[in-house]
Amino acid sequence: MKPNHQETTVAAVDTSTIKIGETSTGIIIAVRGATTRKQNHNYKYTRLGPYIFHITEDNKNEVYNTLEKSYFNTLYSSNRHSTPHLMQMPTRLASLLERWLQTMLAKTVENGLILFDGSLTSGTIDTPVQRMKDILNLARRNKSTVLAFSKMTSLRVNGYLITDQLPKHEPPYLLETTGVQFKPPTVVLGGVYVARLNKANYAFRLDIDREIPLQNRMAAIEKLLGNDLHMQGYPETLRLSHILCTFTANEVLAIKHFITRKHGIQIINRPDMHKLLFGPFGKGEIS
Amino acid sequence: MKLYKKEGNILQILSFPNENAEKGDYLLIEDPDANKALIAQVIDVQFASIPGVLEELLRTLPDGGEPIQGEDIDPLEIAPHITYIQDASLLICKTRATLENDALSPSSSWLPSRSQSTIKKLSVPMLLKLAKVGGNRPIIVGGTKDSSLLTIDATAVDGTLNIVTGKKGCGKSHLSKLLMASLIGYKATVVIFDLNGEYTSIGMSQDGKRNMYYDKIHALTPSQNFKVALDQLHLNVVMGILIHALHLPGTSSREFRRLWKNLKEKGCLTLQEMGEAIRNLNCNQHVRDALSSRYHALVNSGFFTDNPAEATLLDESLLKAKDHGGAIVINLKNTSTIDRQIVVEYVLGKLVDSLQSWTLKATFLFAEEAHLYLRETYWDDIVTRMRHFGIFTTFITNQPDTIRESIYRQADNIFLFNFTNEHDLDVVSRAARVDAETVRSIARDLPPQHCLTLGRVVHDFPIVARVRALDMKTMGETRLFFKNIN
Repeated sequence: MKPNHQETTVAAVDTSTIKIGETSTGIIIAVRGATTRKQNHNYKYTRLGPYIFHITEDNKNEVYNTLEKSYFNTLYSSNRHSTPHLMQMPTRLASLLERWLQTMLAKTVENGLILFDGSLTSGTIDTPVQRMKDILNLARRNKSTVLAFSKMTSLRVNGYLITDQLPKHEPPYLLETTGVQFKPPTVVLGGVYVARLNKANYAFRLDIDREIPLQNRMAAIEKLLGNDLHMQGYPETLRLSHILCTFTANEVLAIKHFITRKHGIQIINRPDMHKLLFGPFGKGEIS
Repeated sequence: MKLYKKEGNILQILSFPNENAEKGDYLLIEDPDANKALIAQVIDVQFASIPGVLEELLRTLPDGGEPIQGEDIDPLEIAPHITYIQDASLLICKTRATLENDALSPSSSWLPSRSQSTIKKLSVPMLLKLAKVGGNRPIIVGGTKDSSLLTIDATAVDGTLNIVTGKKGCGKSHLSKLLMASLIGYKATVVIFDLNGEYTSIGMSQDGKRNMYYDKIHALTPSQNFKVALDQLHLNVVMGILIHALHLPGTSSREFRRLWKNLKEKGCLTLQEMGEAIRNLNCNQHVRDALSSRYHALVNSGFFTDNPAEATLLDESLLKAKDHGGAIVINLKNTSTIDRQIVVEYVLGKLVDSLQSWTLKATFLFAEEAHLYLRETYWDDIVTRMRHFGIFTTFITNQPDTIRESIYRQADNIFLFNFTNEHDLDVVSRAARVDAETVRSIARDLPPQHCLTLGRVVHDFPIVARVRALDMKTMGETRLFFKNIN
């Protein structure tokens, strides 16, 4: 691949969620999303949130459905997955926000590159196929290309992770994968590649909208190489989105302060049963 | 504010940005169950160790350059809470006393409840009231941070050894003038060794008019309006000058003593007669030479005279001051090192004589940069022997290491101005009435004209105050070349 320095907007989106604590009836979670754009050699971000939810068994469906309806006007998942588990609610709500932010970028970025965190896999609980298709269609209509970078992948070839089998070729380069099979109902809406964007010894799974012709896919990667920084082979725009939306311990304290002060909600410190029962051998709850 | 930790007599208190506690402030930690309270003083303010702050700061500077531009849509307004937590501070406090049934005790052996205790600021007037600082003879030192006055009692400097120290230009001389003026206001006798001639005009206000102290200031300039005749001197005073200021050896001292007694018996104790007597002295040549050189040193000082009309008696000034209070300013400006020592030996000897004979009840001695004129053996004399006679000294210096450690150990009051040098702070922190952490931490950050008062005058509750202005011609300012040049 050769970097193409033709001025192109690079936009990225990421969301983050965290469990703030437990109450006597449920959990308190916070969700935040960030989009970052690189335009005219400058990075600019928009950060939404944190949005704080007190989720209980009684309100979880109402919260989820209300948000889904207000974000997308449609309830793609209302029949199939109407009762998400309480503990899954943080990721489900973050995912909802992420898809909405992706939709907004797809609607507003023209002739640009839109970077997603993760893959273009759909048909999962929180990403109905139609919703992902709609996002990709919107992007295509605005002549933008969606590139989804996965930090981790479980795809293997001959027993090895696809990102570990790197040829001795001067980066930047893309490796195309063929014949990758996914279990239904999971559908991958992108071509799956391994991208090594600079000399750093890191490669990532990269999904590129399958509906885009091969030549245009390559052109999009070359524009990305020419328009964004790549620290450790990862696009800076996406890295910034991730950094900006991640919750720090300080923010968690501040959120706890807010909910106690503003709403008088008491967070319960439940004992860690692992530590309680097994002492130094208890590793704590894995969340 | 919340009590976080207690280690020894150090308390750590978590404070939030709106609580505005600063170094030097006093806090009252009340435990309602124990029905008592701790009084602690903030000696340092640190950032509270909040998890995640580093990440918070790092992400605002992603490129190590300018902060990334952007928009935060924060509908729940969490950001102020983040800042609130991020700016939380940890107050390092030193416990000073326990308050129980309106009575103070120096004990801090009990532990207040971390969850139940309430912490609030203790205002200086309240503290002074609880500590019963103040009395019938108030001296207003200045204003404290909470706009109240720091008032000490003049009796708390009576019979005490005081030190005023701080780096150059921070207001030491100003405070010593304030103390001096207040003392003479209470009819005290004050003697000042004025090294730079800056006390001579304190009888004048800043606009050049006479102020209320005018009649009480007796400025004596050696060899000008301050001369002594030999027959007014006691032999022990002269011997003090010869031995300590002019380093006359023992054999020669014995010869001089004999010579002095002879002249006194003959009733011709004058400089001229003494010179003649030394010339005609039948003794070893080395002894005669030694006496002759000292004699010429005395003559050349211009401090001694044979003319009784020229001889202003220090006694007279002391007597005037005794009745109505007053300050005898010994102007040592433009005086050579040897002459300075001669004058100081004379004045101290005279004071001891007057105090021994009860001509004088007691006197407050203000000594600026005393190492420049005070002989070695006087340091211990001043804190032990002379104090019992009634000489209560205040040392003023910007070089704290020039004052002996024994002086610090016995100092009753310390008026400490800003020091940034660690070595200087180490020296001052040797004083028995202060703790090293307080001195190091608070004195380092004192603004100009602000003084940390320690010791008996504040009942061992260190208090920071901005020294009040005085309407007197202070002349303590350094003469500057570039001043008033456009």
